[in-house]
Amino acid sequence: MSEAKRLHPISAVMNFLKGLKDAILPAIFLLVLNNDESGTWLDWLPTLVFGVLLVFILVNGFIKWLRFTYRIEEGELRIEYGLIFRKKRYIPIDRIQSLNFSEGVLHRPFNLVKVNIETAGSSDIAQAEADLTAIKKPEAHALEDWIQQAKRKTEADTDSEALESNAHQADEGSVVFRLPSKEIVILAVTSGASGVVFSGLAFFGSQFGEIIPYEALFNEVVEFVQIGVFVVGLASFLLLLISYGIGVLLTFLRFADFKVRLVEDDLIITRGMLEKKQMTIPLNRIQGIQVKQNLLRQPFGYASLHVESAGGGVGDKEEHNMNLLPLVKKDSISGIMAKVLPDYQFDVDLKPAPKRSRFRYFIWNMIITSIIAGAVSWFLWPIGLLSVILVLLAASLSWLQYKDAGWDLQGQQLCLQSRGIIKRTYYMKKYRIQDTEAKQSWFQKRKSLASITSTIKSGLGGASPTVDHLEVSDIETMLQWYEPEKVQKNTKNKPT
Amino acid sequence: MERLEPANRISPKALRLWRIYGGIQSVIITLLAAGLIVATYYFNWPKWLILIGIIVPLLEIILSVWLLPTIRWKRWRYEVREQEIELQHGIWIVNRTLVPMIRVQHVDTEQGPLLRKYKLATISISTAATVHKIPALEVDEAEHLRQSISSLARVAEDDV
Repeated sequence: MSEAKRLHPISAVMNFLKGLKDAILPAIFLLVLNNDESGTWLDWLPTLVFGVLLVFILVNGFIKWLRFTYRIEEGELRIEYGLIFRKKRYIPIDRIQSLNFSEGVLHRPFNLVKVNIETAGSSDIAQAEADLTAIKKPEAHALEDWIQQAKRKTEADTDSEALESNAHQADEGSVVFRLPSKEIVILAVTSGASGVVFSGLAFFGSQFGEIIPYEALFNEVVEFVQIGVFVVGLASFLLLLISYGIGVLLTFLRFADFKVRLVEDDLIITRGMLEKKQMTIPLNRIQGIQVKQNLLRQPFGYASLHVESAGGGVGDKEEHNMNLLPLVKKDSISGIMAKVLPDYQFDVDLKPAPKRSRFRYFIWNMIITSIIAGAVSWFLWPIGLLSVILVLLAASLSWLQYKDAGWDLQGQQLCLQSRGIIKRTYYMKKYRIQDTEAKQSWFQKRKSLASITSTIKSGLGGASPTVDHLEVSDIETMLQWYEPEKVQKNTKNKPT
Repeated sequence: MERLEPANRISPKALRLWRIYGGIQSVIITLLAAGLIVATYYFNWPKWLILIGIIVPLLEIILSVWLLPTIRWKRWRYEVREQEIELQHGIWIVNRTLVPMIRVQHVDTEQGPLLRKYKLATISISTAATVHKIPALEVDEAEHLRQSISSLARVAEDDV
């Protein structure tokens, strides 16, 4: 496997399409801007520029493919590319953290796959990952196996591909989670975007009833304006509904055939219908677990579970905050995760925020929404009075925020739960927490309350779950817990 | 909070430095306010604008030259122990931060022109996910801290 290889020629087409996508906005701008005709050759300038741009992108895509080679040599993955500036990137095998596969529509007919190589925490963001845009599937699997073997330090003959693909067949691991079609539908329907649509529906329903009395009260002009508003409202609502439909469909395609496998020390997620994706999460890179419940899913006992992992690329935020269980009954989480991450405890009794903190949860939400509602009511009397609903909504949200705040300590694990709009519960191990911060405002001090934030690494940055307005003594318990033990001088307390 | 405050304060010279920063800011605000007052006379704008032009710079001077630097300096405390670093800062909201030594990835010191004039330095402590700064330490102290933190941090290996 040591000779330099090119990517599949189709990647030239992909480069071209990608270049086209990046150039589309400036191109439109160019064409729209120079729309006035003066009858000279200048009229043709935009078209000319556009044409040259097109040819340039085409050639560029082709050259990119031509100059891009990869090979495996001396325990390194060596990638070389670039025409004028020849760039070489050599990635030592033990720095490769995981390989993620994805198959787009263009990959499928040729049995190809895009390989994204994630390396462990390089401080230089641009160096943190590399892509092989399109290579044959068996080659990708051979690469995967080769990395696996190199990591296991077994001195096998890395040149015989047949042997490796056999090894790959055997190594399917055990499926720990599968998402049934019914649940994918629920997932798609209850995703974040739906909230906007439902509130739109509610608003529209309320508007509908009010159109009739207004007809009697105002003259025809006002009526006309009202109908105008109505039509615009209807149109935008329909648009919203359609985009929601598309969103549901896309979510369905994205999560179709969702499967999580545990292969030795890696979690492998595969998903997707049109575009197939495979992501690998090494278990030892997991920094913490986040369980999310939005307002639509919570009543039905559904939640989603995300894994925060370290390192990786710059691209998708999603890649570091991996949706391990996109939709799952909350009470079955601990059963599923016991097989995957037995160190984590998901059955915890959270200690709540004290009763006297209720006021603090309400006060700012109430003040801000009251000011808004007051202003809206004043300027849009009397229909602006509807904004009082906002205050009521804020009050119920504040109540939920108060009810959902909680914390728990269990051995090495800290659990913090709070709600913005979505309820988030973080499960973190002491040896993964980067720092812990207690905060106390003057108001909190008077009631001996305080807030806590613990930061874990997530992707190239961090995730910082915060719980507000807890008992000061509880915060101190957490700080005490987090403080390294002084007796164990120079012995690293490093579980697992 | 019941917890003992971290033992060390930052350099008293920081107070003077912050007052200078506040002073510069106040001068700019005062100039703007003066401009407003002149414009109010000139264009016959409503008279209450003059009141604003007087009150705002006064408040600004009181707050950013006197009150805020004093509180901030009093609040700023730090302590570097063998196993962890503890910081306390904040004017309205008091932050207490605990960074275990094993989480520290690297330590930097930096100096702006004003800091250099007063022989001060800012030290920043980076973990894999966060950066914490201790502003305005004596240069020697900062240098010493950087040395000791990085040698203490080197003792432990990395999980991330």
